[in-house]
Amino acid sequence: MTIAGAREGAMYGIRRAVAAAMARDLTAFVLPGPSVARSMGIDLANAHLRVVGTPRHADVLIVVGPIPDGLRDAAAVTYAQMPRPRAILALGAGDIAPLPDADVSAPLTRAGLADLRRVIAAGAFRADSGEFNAPALEVRVEYTCPMHPEIVRDAPGDCPKCGMTLVPRETASDGHGGHGGHDMPREDRPNPADHAHAGHAHDAGGSGAYTCPMHPEVISYAPGKCPKCGMNLAKAEEVESHGHGHGHGHASHAPSAHGDHAGHDDKAGGSGAYSCPMHPEVISDAPGKCPKCGMNLVKAEEVESHGPGHGHGHGGHGGHGKQQDHSGHDGHAGHGGHSKATIDGIEPHFMSMVEMTKDQPRSSDGLQMDWIKVPFGPFFPGLPAGLRLTLTLDGDTVAASDATSLVGATDLMDGPQMRVADFVERLATMMPLSSVSYRALACAAIEVAAGVEPDHDARRGRAAAVERERIASHLNWLAEFGLQSGFLWLAARAGALQLAVQGADVAGIATQAGAIRRLSRRVQAAPLMRMRLRRIARIGNDAPASGPVDRARGGGSDARTGDPTLKDLGFEMRVRNGGDALARLRLRCDEIAQSLDLIAAAGMIAVPQVPDVDRVSGEGEARIETPRGTASLRVKLANGKVVEADLDTPTDVNIALVETVTAQQELGDALSAVASLDLSPWEVRG
Amino acid sequence: MSILVVLLSLAAGAYALAVIERWAVHGHLSLTGPAWAALALMGRESLLARKSDRLFFELGPVLLLVAGLMAVAVIPLAPGLIITDLATGALFLNAALAYVLVALIMAGWGPNGAYAMIAGWRFLGQFIAYAMLIVMPITAVAMRAESLSTVEIVASQAQLWNVLYQPMGFVLFVVAAMGLAWLPPLDLPDATGELAGGVEAEYTGVRLAVLRLARMVIILALAGATVTFYLGGWLGPWLPAWAWSAIKILAVAAAMLSVGRYMPRIREARYLALSWKLGISLALANIFVVGVIALVVPI
Repeated sequence: MTIAGAREGAMYGIRRAVAAAMARDLTAFVLPGPSVARSMGIDLANAHLRVVGTPRHADVLIVVGPIPDGLRDAAAVTYAQMPRPRAILALGAGDIAPLPDADVSAPLTRAGLADLRRVIAAGAFRADSGEFNAPALEVRVEYTCPMHPEIVRDAPGDCPKCGMTLVPRETASDGHGGHGGHDMPREDRPNPADHAHAGHAHDAGGSGAYTCPMHPEVISYAPGKCPKCGMNLAKAEEVESHGHGHGHGHASHAPSAHGDHAGHDDKAGGSGAYSCPMHPEVISDAPGKCPKCGMNLVKAEEVESHGPGHGHGHGGHGGHGKQQDHSGHDGHAGHGGHSKATIDGIEPHFMSMVEMTKDQPRSSDGLQMDWIKVPFGPFFPGLPAGLRLTLTLDGDTVAASDATSLVGATDLMDGPQMRVADFVERLATMMPLSSVSYRALACAAIEVAAGVEPDHDARRGRAAAVERERIASHLNWLAEFGLQSGFLWLAARAGALQLAVQGADVAGIATQAGAIRRLSRRVQAAPLMRMRLRRIARIGNDAPASGPVDRARGGGSDARTGDPTLKDLGFEMRVRNGGDALARLRLRCDEIAQSLDLIAAAGMIAVPQVPDVDRVSGEGEARIETPRGTASLRVKLANGKVVEADLDTPTDVNIALVETVTAQQELGDALSAVASLDLSPWEVRG
Repeated sequence: MSILVVLLSLAAGAYALAVIERWAVHGHLSLTGPAWAALALMGRESLLARKSDRLFFELGPVLLLVAGLMAVAVIPLAPGLIITDLATGALFLNAALAYVLVALIMAGWGPNGAYAMIAGWRFLGQFIAYAMLIVMPITAVAMRAESLSTVEIVASQAQLWNVLYQPMGFVLFVVAAMGLAWLPPLDLPDATGELAGGVEAEYTGVRLAVLRLARMVIILALAGATVTFYLGGWLGPWLPAWAWSAIKILAVAAAMLSVGRYMPRIREARYLALSWKLGISLALANIFVVGVIALVVPI
């Protein structure tokens, strides 16, 4: 018996010892992430395995629950990045494709782990280890024209625009580079998520997209400015009409490629023969193809007419005159041969870096650097699991950011109508990080729609259950923050307390209350804490925000304020001033303390029960303060079945803040800033 | 002979440190853990990143190990128990550890990965923060000993350990040493939550084992330097000299490894600002004060 990810090699001698060692000392990478695992009550800390932050250092992939569709590709990439021997432990049932079948499917118990260890010790090596293949890992070779990046073909051939021979390049089969949290290349098979490619989305010709005429790698689905040079983005189709722009862009990055042609323009002009626009030294008396690049030769006069005195190498770009129509191009005159400016003592064809970069935006640190686009997530340690954060880095400063949820936007209904109990269950499972709150929300909305009034005790119990989840959720946030910032004591302690609080009764919470309060005091007083978070991720009062993010800027709203049940329990809205990450941390600590009081006052905890609605029809809306902010749900009942539902979530509001809080921040600060928002990608309805 | 003894104690020390580090990072104490982990690493694939800079990728960890070993060469464990007692030992230590920067940048650049590359350059920034604060306190130590030989420096503390003679220098040196060994909270180049392992992120298998061993040797070298410069080296009552060295070095290393567990990582900009604005002023003041004391009260 061997594991699916066995390493190649016969199992003998020293390898047995090695396999035994691996089985004893397991390192695990958790999908989708430790925070989700904890929310589901899985205790990784006491499982006697080491949870690591990168799949490169893991030999077990722990998969929690079924993999959401949006994370399948990233899961495949993550698995492929683990060095062999590698095993998969599936916790909970569910489809984990495209990963190979789990080597062990068991809960995280002593017995389950013993199984895992036995399987690894026995089967870490195998004479013929199979390859792991998934669609996300396939690399397709496509062919593109060096001058016209928008031309992409599946087979070699000539460019329909200029006749040049298309050159091959590798691309991920699904056309986007940089998925997966750890886009690291592999040794033994091509990896689409190669860093070298990560930033440069390959589908330059993407239909309907906008792209920068100078930087074809910049692609946006909305009109706007190029983050690199500030030019107006043009429709991809439009760019085709002056494809020379791309050529300039490339030339500027690789001057040596063209440098050897400098000064040849005068030769080309001479004989009235045919010449290659790219290689002016190629001269022929008859029309034909360039032997160097395969482009169609053009009449020499034609070349000249495009750029007198500066045709070298860039002549092929053709149609320079057009550029004058686009004011944005002016700043880049230095790129091409059509620069009129000459500097004393410098050859006319010298490509000046100063001139090339002088109009580009500079980041806050004032340094001009190469920009790289780095994917963080969806499984990045310290960021919310399921969130793909793509940062364009200028050195270590964030020049642009994009946060996308890979797990959001599932339909609330799985059919035209749903039984009430199924609907409540579905909504609760859709939100693994705050399932109790959403269960309560669904029940409340259905009650309003059906005109049912829950009794006093049910209300109190339900409110206390949501408060309990608030404590657990804020502790989970603290644990993740601890992990991100290297405050490992906090990560361990907050994680343990979260597991203890989750599902505990009033007495159980009372016994933990002291420890929780001590933790929250100690976190706020920890050395370097103020320095780390103060003035990070400041949010002004005009930006829309929800939940603790909103209330940490000296005001804001809380859906609990109008609730008579909570008022009876002594609820008062907590507020902090500052609007920065530190204020958010403090506010969450305050809220934990308050929730402890509220639960003690309620004296009971009752998970919301699905209301009994017998063939009622009606419409209703309910709002609830989830740990992340206000969520509201509208439902329509017909004959006791849910026929329509519409949900607003706090993360939908807060995810829009990512761009503001990361702009021009140092990388570490930007990541703290995103973490401080406490996003739940599952809530994104987009 | 003494070379062999030093190297063996180094191996033992590195193992002890690995045990402590596992406790500090993962929270469980296991005496056999690092042995299993090392064996497991040997059996794992040692992947080579595609389009990597092979030379830098391979040489980074090795250079790191060499730098650590060279630094260890001038740490005296007992009278006569030192690999080489250079007349310029204290400076040699600093020179050897300068290669840590080179090695980390190579290891960051080599694998062609964004996380590792950013981590490597981050360490270059970090170098600017710690470099002056390693050299300037050593200057004050050498002033008192009137020698750069590490053996002489230990001997100079027979009356009073430097930690009491120049406490400010001690604090500055330890903080700078932690920056040099990129220990939390100054672990910017391998920040797990920010760069998913940073310079270590792309190393697997045997190469990762070398990288981790090298890190342990560097931490030991720096703990050894702290003990030599400030805690009286092998000096101490009752126990044999080598035992005092071992106890002090391991205690300092354990403290350096575990303190970061209780606080968040520092922000790079603040680290640089504090090191220069505060650290260097204090280091200059330290040199001045030590100079005055050395002239007025010769102990």
